[in-house]
Amino acid sequence: MLLEQLAGNLTQGLLLGAVYGVATMGLSLIFGVLRVVNVGHGAFIMAGAFITYWLFVLLGLPPPAAIPIALVIGIALGLVFFYLIMRRLIGAPELATLLATFAIGILLEEVAKVLWGSEFRGFNWALGKIALPITVIPLTKLYAFLGAIAIAVLVYLWFKKTRAGTAIRTVVEDAEGARVCGVNVGRVYGTSFAVGIGLTVMSGVLLTMFIPVGINPYMGAGYTLKAFVIAVLGGLTSPWGAFYAGLIFGLVENGSYTLFSLLPNVEPFALTRFLSFAILLGLLLWKPTGLLGGK
Amino acid sequence: MAAPRWSGLMKYLPLLPVYAAYIILLLLGLYLPGMWQMVALVLFYAAVGQAFNVFIGMTRYVDFGYVAFIALGSYGMAIAISRLAAFPQLGVGIIAIGLILGVVMAVLLSIAVGGVALRLRGAYFAIATIGVSEGFRYFIDGAKIWGGSEGIIFSRQLKEVFGPTANSLSTFWADVLVLLIAIVAAFVTIHYMRTRVGYALTALREDEDAAKVMGINVTKYKIIAFVTSAAFAGLIGASAWALKTTYVFPADVFLITYTVEAIVIVMLGGAGTLLGPVVGGLVYGLSKYWLAIALPGYQLLIFAPALLVIIVTFPQGIVGVVKRKVKGTALERYIV
Amino acid sequence: MTALLRLENVTKRFGGLVAVDSMNLDVHHGEALGIVGPNGSGKTTLYNVISGVYVPDEGKVLFEGADITRVPIYRRSPMGMGRTFQIPRPFASASVRENVAVGAMFGSLADKLSVDQSLEMADHYLEVMGISEHRDKPAGNLTPVEKKLMEMARAFAMKPKLLLMDEAMAGMHPKDIDGIVSLMKRIQREEGVAVISMVEHIMRAVKGFADRVVVIHQGRKLVDAPTAEALSDQRVVDVYLGRPNVEESDATS
Repeated sequence: MLLEQLAGNLTQGLLLGAVYGVATMGLSLIFGVLRVVNVGHGAFIMAGAFITYWLFVLLGLPPPAAIPIALVIGIALGLVFFYLIMRRLIGAPELATLLATFAIGILLEEVAKVLWGSEFRGFNWALGKIALPITVIPLTKLYAFLGAIAIAVLVYLWFKKTRAGTAIRTVVEDAEGARVCGVNVGRVYGTSFAVGIGLTVMSGVLLTMFIPVGINPYMGAGYTLKAFVIAVLGGLTSPWGAFYAGLIFGLVENGSYTLFSLLPNVEPFALTRFLSFAILLGLLLWKPTGLLGGK
Repeated sequence: MAAPRWSGLMKYLPLLPVYAAYIILLLLGLYLPGMWQMVALVLFYAAVGQAFNVFIGMTRYVDFGYVAFIALGSYGMAIAISRLAAFPQLGVGIIAIGLILGVVMAVLLSIAVGGVALRLRGAYFAIATIGVSEGFRYFIDGAKIWGGSEGIIFSRQLKEVFGPTANSLSTFWADVLVLLIAIVAAFVTIHYMRTRVGYALTALREDEDAAKVMGINVTKYKIIAFVTSAAFAGLIGASAWALKTTYVFPADVFLITYTVEAIVIVMLGGAGTLLGPVVGGLVYGLSKYWLAIALPGYQLLIFAPALLVIIVTFPQGIVGVVKRKVKGTALERYIV
Repeated sequence: MTALLRLENVTKRFGGLVAVDSMNLDVHHGEALGIVGPNGSGKTTLYNVISGVYVPDEGKVLFEGADITRVPIYRRSPMGMGRTFQIPRPFASASVRENVAVGAMFGSLADKLSVDQSLEMADHYLEVMGISEHRDKPAGNLTPVEKKLMEMARAFAMKPKLLLMDEAMAGMHPKDIDGIVSLMKRIQREEGVAVISMVEHIMRAVKGFADRVVVIHQGRKLVDAPTAEALSDQRVVDVYLGRPNVEESDATS
């Protein structure tokens, strides 16, 4: 039965990992193009979570319907923050952008708190379970997983096939060169930031499909750390790397949780979170370019 | 031709306005009825600002996990008092031990984290530190050390050792300690600025690669600043937190809010300046005090956009702006 | 007498590209050497190997007889190696005086100079360079020429035995170039510093300054000879006028 439990946990870890991966793609995109570390990352995930919650509770919309809405809202938010703040900080020392994204995150959290209070919220969107060869998983989680895969594929196509996506890729390669070739680098910065935020907010929807409880203004903090671990693991500038790294992280996280539960006198959830941090430090020390390449 | 020359004691002239401010605050608090709490709050923030400024101001690296050092300082004091209460004959010595323990713990953590993370460049370092506070908090929770998530409550032990004076310890002498820390931190800051350490930090802050070529071991100096900053944080945690509240538990002390406050204070006042943290501490302390009365619970909501405004419009902070204005005047040597 | 700097069979590759190919080079105390080569010839890589930014894949770098191939960048300065950058890199918010003092503080006299003495040395070199009037200004406010002069003052304040100057003259007015070249020559002679000047093809600067010239092409030495000889060497002319068969000529001196 232990093996069954482990298999079940690992499968769930893989599913959740895909969601984590999509949640991190935005972070990697923003860093890859703008060299900005979005410290407020988790707050945007929280925004997506609340969007899902309210759409469900007030309008009865099932979460998958919230996905495109969250994307649009996220892109709008991204544009607002870019043109109001980030654009003025291009060329400023790192400290400035780090603090700016940090402050933006705090702002979002506090606005959420003022609007909706700090108590935990959740919703119930259960669709039953589905039996797979090794384990049984709730359908909602499966849908979240499929949603994540779909989004990852769409993003991939967007990068490869559209003008905007190609422009972004050239800027990641070589900003100066792109400028010389006539790419409007300023606009690429804005687009990338907006899309990055959009992806992040959208991933909040997927996350609540997976975990529909515990929604509160400060839920983002834990995800920020995880996202950074995943981003570094995947190569910090590569959205694809982030996706695959997310899968790995999901597996490791759930696997370690199972292992920690076996140890006496420890609190496995807390230890798992500590593990994320330890992994991050280890990675930054030994392989800051990530296990999966990228720049 | 005559540019201001710094020689001997003249180098430490900039301490005058800082110490003058502290003394004025102290006098106000002592002689105006009911002002002590507010003065203590301002002094606390000034001290935090001074401590944090040694690192963020002089290197322009951000340590998002800074609060962990203050928290560990708290734990140091808590552990000292709760364990040593069995030896009441040590008296004030217990407080001293608590302070030392707090510093040692904070310094050890800073060496562990800094030794690893400071080899990284700015953004990567910031990422690494994001997890420090969280990581350590969950380590305490998860491994159930030092009382785990329930923490340590030591008000009883404090009374056992100090009897009736325990009260004044928490409400007055703890704040005096904070003032002393602020005084020492200011001195250490200007001392660094006027010696090799300061020059090395300025160089690596402006251009880390060029600094290396000039012969500066950048990692070593970053670590010096980091550990110094952490040591002061530990002292502050041991006195301003533990001693005042007589309890400590992880969810309460490892809050990122405190790191935010430190950041706002330093940026508002002027990162890398000596007077900055004092000004920042004053403005922030007063604002928070009045906001707590007028709009409780809304502080961060106001300070977050305030930080954004500062970063975009005057990143050099209030003292940074003032410095520019007094350039070429006699005041120049006092505003640093 | 041992060469001050010796490169033995130094090779540096980037992926499949060989940037520096089995380079052998000697630099002597007090010598003024010009390293000339077009873009892509490998001279920047060579510089970076000498100053410690890159570790060569093969070969050794010897400074005063000691093997410094793997010594980290920041240790080379106290040994006596200084470097300037093609585009000056001042510590912008610090004053000009403080900038130059940093050179003194962490250079070859690092342990022997106090902060005050370093500041005095800075004053001295600022005067030599003729920019004393800017002493207390933030270094970032200087004009490009003044920044170049400050950069050199900072480098000389390190009291190096060997100074690597990176394309000292690119993008400047000929009059300024003349002035700087003679200044450099004077200091170099007075202080007995070996200077390697790295230029792309500013022949005037090289002619006014260098006693000896090494021409680099595709990572290899093409010519290594006293200036006058080198500049009239046919192979050098070929490199600069781009004759197709140049690749076949081997490095000799």
